[in-house]
Formats: sequence, C-alpha cells, structure tokens
Amino acid sequence: MLLKPTKIKDFRGPENLKNFLGKRGFFFILDAVLGLTVLIIGIFLVTSSYVNAPQPAQVSLLSDDLMDFLSDNKIRELNNPYAGIGGELWNKGIITDTDNSLLQQIGEFYAKNNLDTAEKFIQNVSKGIVPEQFRYEVWIDDTLLYPKTPSPEHIKSKSGTGLLLTSKKLTFGIINRTTSDLWGPYKAEVFVWER
Amino acid sequence: MGAVIGMKKKGIFFTFIAITIMAVFILVFTPQADISLSKDTQAAASRISSIDSYVSDLQSNYFETILRAVSYKAVLSLIFYMNETGSFLPNLDSAFYEVAMNGTISNVPIDTITGKAIMENNSLSNWSNKITETAQDTLNVNTTIRILNASISQTSSWGIDSIMTVNFAVKSGIASWEKNSTIISSFGIEGMPDPYYLVNTDGAYVNHVKKSTVEFNQWNIIKVREHIRNGTYVHWQDSKAPSFLMRFTNTIANSSCCGIESLADPNKITPPDVIDSYADYILGDTLNDIPCSELFNITNPATGGGIWDEFRYFKLDFKHVVLYNITAQDAVGTC
Repeated sequence: MLLKPTKIKDFRGPENLKNFLGKRGFFFILDAVLGLTVLIIGIFLVTSSYVNAPQPAQVSLLSDDLMDFLSDNKIRELNNPYAGIGGELWNKGIITDTDNSLLQQIGEFYAKNNLDTAEKFIQNVSKGIVPEQFRYEVWIDDTLLYPKTPSPEHIKSKSGTGLLLTSKKLTFGIINRTTSDLWGPYKAEVFVWER
Repeated sequence: MGAVIGMKKKGIFFTFIAITIMAVFILVFTPQADISLSKDTQAAASRISSIDSYVSDLQSNYFETILRAVSYKAVLSLIFYMNETGSFLPNLDSAFYEVAMNGTISNVPIDTITGKAIMENNSLSNWSNKITETAQDTLNVNTTIRILNASISQTSSWGIDSIMTVNFAVKSGIASWEKNSTIISSFGIEGMPDPYYLVNTDGAYVNHVKKSTVEFNQWNIIKVREHIRNGTYVHWQDSKAPSFLMRFTNTIANSSCCGIESLADPNKITPPDVIDSYADYILGDTLNDIPCSELFNITNPATGGGIWDEFRYFKLDFKHVVLYNITAQDAVGTC
C-alpha cells in the first residue's frame, strides 16, 4: 500500500512529534556548543586581561628592586671591572671608599659634579638588573643622571607609557674622611616603565 | 501531555545553563575586587616599608655620620679658637655642645673668631634641618628632631667618643614613628694640633698629634731623637700624662687610660733653656717643676753621647729617662 506523499509535514500524532523533538534536540546541542564556545572565548579574554593585571605590581617591584640593589650593595661587594675594587674607577682613584653603597657612590659623583662618570657607573652596575623590555632613569636631587642625555625614543617611550612607577630614597655620605666633609642628603629616584 | 512534561524538564537545563553562566561571571569578576583591595594594601605596605627604612637609616646611619663629622669639626674649631684667644677653655662640655649644636661660642659664630669656614652650615641643627627638608620632599613625611644632649669623652688614647641623645618623630598620612635614641660615634685625634702647645706658646709651636710607632720596650737614644724631631706622641701604660681632651682645659693630671705625651723641641720654645723636664705636660706646668736632683741633661760631654748636638738644653726627669731607656752614656745630672 502506497502512502500518500505529504507536501507539508504533518507532525500530528505521537510518532511524528517524537521525530520533531529529536531534531530540535540537535539544535539545542548545537546551540549549547555555540554558546559554550562563546563562553570559552569570553572567559579566555577576561582571564587573559586578568593575568595581565599584576603588571603594575611587577613594574613597581622592578623600581623597588633597582633602588634596593643600588642602596643595599656596597662597592666592596661588587664584582665589576669598571666599578668594583681593582676596576677602572678604583685604579684611577675616582672610587676610594669601599664602604660606600652604590647609591652613595652615585651621590658622591653628583656632589663632585662628576656626572659623566655617574652615568657610566649606573650603566655598568645596573646591567642585567632591569629586563630588556623595560626602560629606567636614575635621578639625584632632581637631576637626571642616567641616561644623562635621553634619546628621542626614550622620551617618547616615557611620555607614552601607560604605567610609570618610581621608587625614592634619601642618600648621604662622606666626601672627605680626613676633613669629615659630608654631602647630601639628596633625594634619589628611580623611574621604571615598559618600553 | 508527555511532550509538555519533556519541555518542562528541558527548562531545568536552561535554568542550569543560566546558573552556570552566572557562576562563571561571578567567578570571573569577583577576583577583580580582590585585586583593587590588595593593591591598596600593597601601596600602604610599600609606603610604610619606605618610611620604616628611612627611620632606621636615620637612626643607624644618618645621626652617627653627622655626629662624627660635626664632632670632629667642633673639636677642630675649638682648637683654632683657643689658638686665637690664647687661653684654655673654662668648660669643655658646654663649649663643645654650643659649637656642635649651633656653630657658635658665647653666641658668636665660631668661624668669625677663627677665620676658618668649618662650622658654617655644619652644626647639628643645620644637618637636622637638611634631613627634615629632604625627607619632606622625598617621602612626604614630617620629621621632627630634638637633640637633647651632645658631649665628648675619651676611653682610648687616640680617639674621641661623641655621644648624642636625640628624640625624633616621623609622621606620614598613614603611620607615625617616635623614638629616643643614644647615638655614639668616634673619630681619631691624629692630625689635630695639640691645643696645649698652642696656648702655652701663643701659637708659636704647632705640634700635630701623631702616634709613635716605637714599642714600649724598644726605646733608645736614637729613637728619642727621632721622636723629638717628628713631634710624635706616646701613650705609656698607667700614664701620668693628661689625655688629649684634658689639654683643652689645662687639666694636668694623670689619665691612666688615655694620657699621651710628646717631648718638646728646645729649638721651638723661648727661651730654649728651661730648668724642667721637656716632657710636654711637665714643661707646660709651671706649678710642678722637677727638682734638679731628678733632672738630667740628655747629653754627656765625656762620651759624646746624647742629643744636644741637635736639641741643645734638652732635659728629662728621672722617670722619663727610665721610660725612654736612656743610659748614663747619654745623660748627666743637672746638679
């Protein structure tokens, strides 16, 4: 017996309704998969931005780390062919006090108006301390010592950065032990930001 | 009827999906509130840490450094002051306190009397003000420093100990510190002019303190000659000589811990021939002359010994003849 073909689907009847619901189930699954995809993408995007959130703390730590490195380490603890004991500055008699911290030595150069040496000293001792993707500046008493003459890229990078953090400390020292002449106290500042 | 029940069961799934989405959103956004909270805490902790570091630096380094420098300059200024006035100090403690605190003596800037720019901008008050201003500029903190006392003393022959009692408070927007502290520092006296020589010779005989390198049991006439020539000083065990600080007030008494002495060069005093021992503190003490029975000319014409070829009229009392291991070959009695 041939069934009469139907042009319009007629889902009336228990069997047809079951078929119809079965096909809708497929759409629901597809819809759920699409929804899940959208959710995963959304969560991924939100999580990615959340992972980036600690960046300020990282930069802040970097500025503090650099300042702590300069203020906590002494000349006698430095193994550096330019700035350490037996190094170039030591042999020339420019560095004489091994008990000076690196920050005090920078302050002493500033007090003696030896700004070129101060710049080179900072460049040498801070090499490898700050990761490549960051730029930094060292100021003493509102005078930029490193880099002494900033490049246009440096200035552009600093003015364009979204996050520039600073670490400050006071520094002072003895300029001449025989006469007990002191220098300072100066304001020492370190600025760090992402390139 | 069965289809309607099926649809209703699917509604539960939609509800679950909605709850899941809500849960995801809550989970995603809740930590952000934590971040801002921890940021604030971190900022406060960082600021407190910075100021705490400044406070401990102030206490352990800054005060000690300025105390050492200011004390050295104050003592040096007092020596030049004594040279200008030609008199000993009536009270070393009060004179030192005034010079170290304010750079003045009897309310007059000491530099104007000595003609040397030593204490200008170098008093304890000046250095306290400098750190207060710089700390305000750098860390935005209000520092109050009250120096309660500053004094000097000697516990060793070749150094001066300075002691300062200070009360200081550091206040910021989020915390404050207040401390009482006693700061001790010391500096050497080598290189300083001996005020006893300056005052007793009206500035004509300047002898800088320089420690002799000769051991107590190595003395002989050759080393005595070099000792006078170089104007070096020696500390004897249980010394009968005054300490360096006692020389500021003409207190000629024994300082067993810290007494130092040199031998005066007859060529640098007027008149060169004095009937007294040329050990500096005995020579300068006019009230305590040595009887001639205990006094020896450090020369011996019979042997050709002694040091009168270079230091004519040089004499020593018996105790010093023994201490410097001078034998009869180089010395004869004065009477």
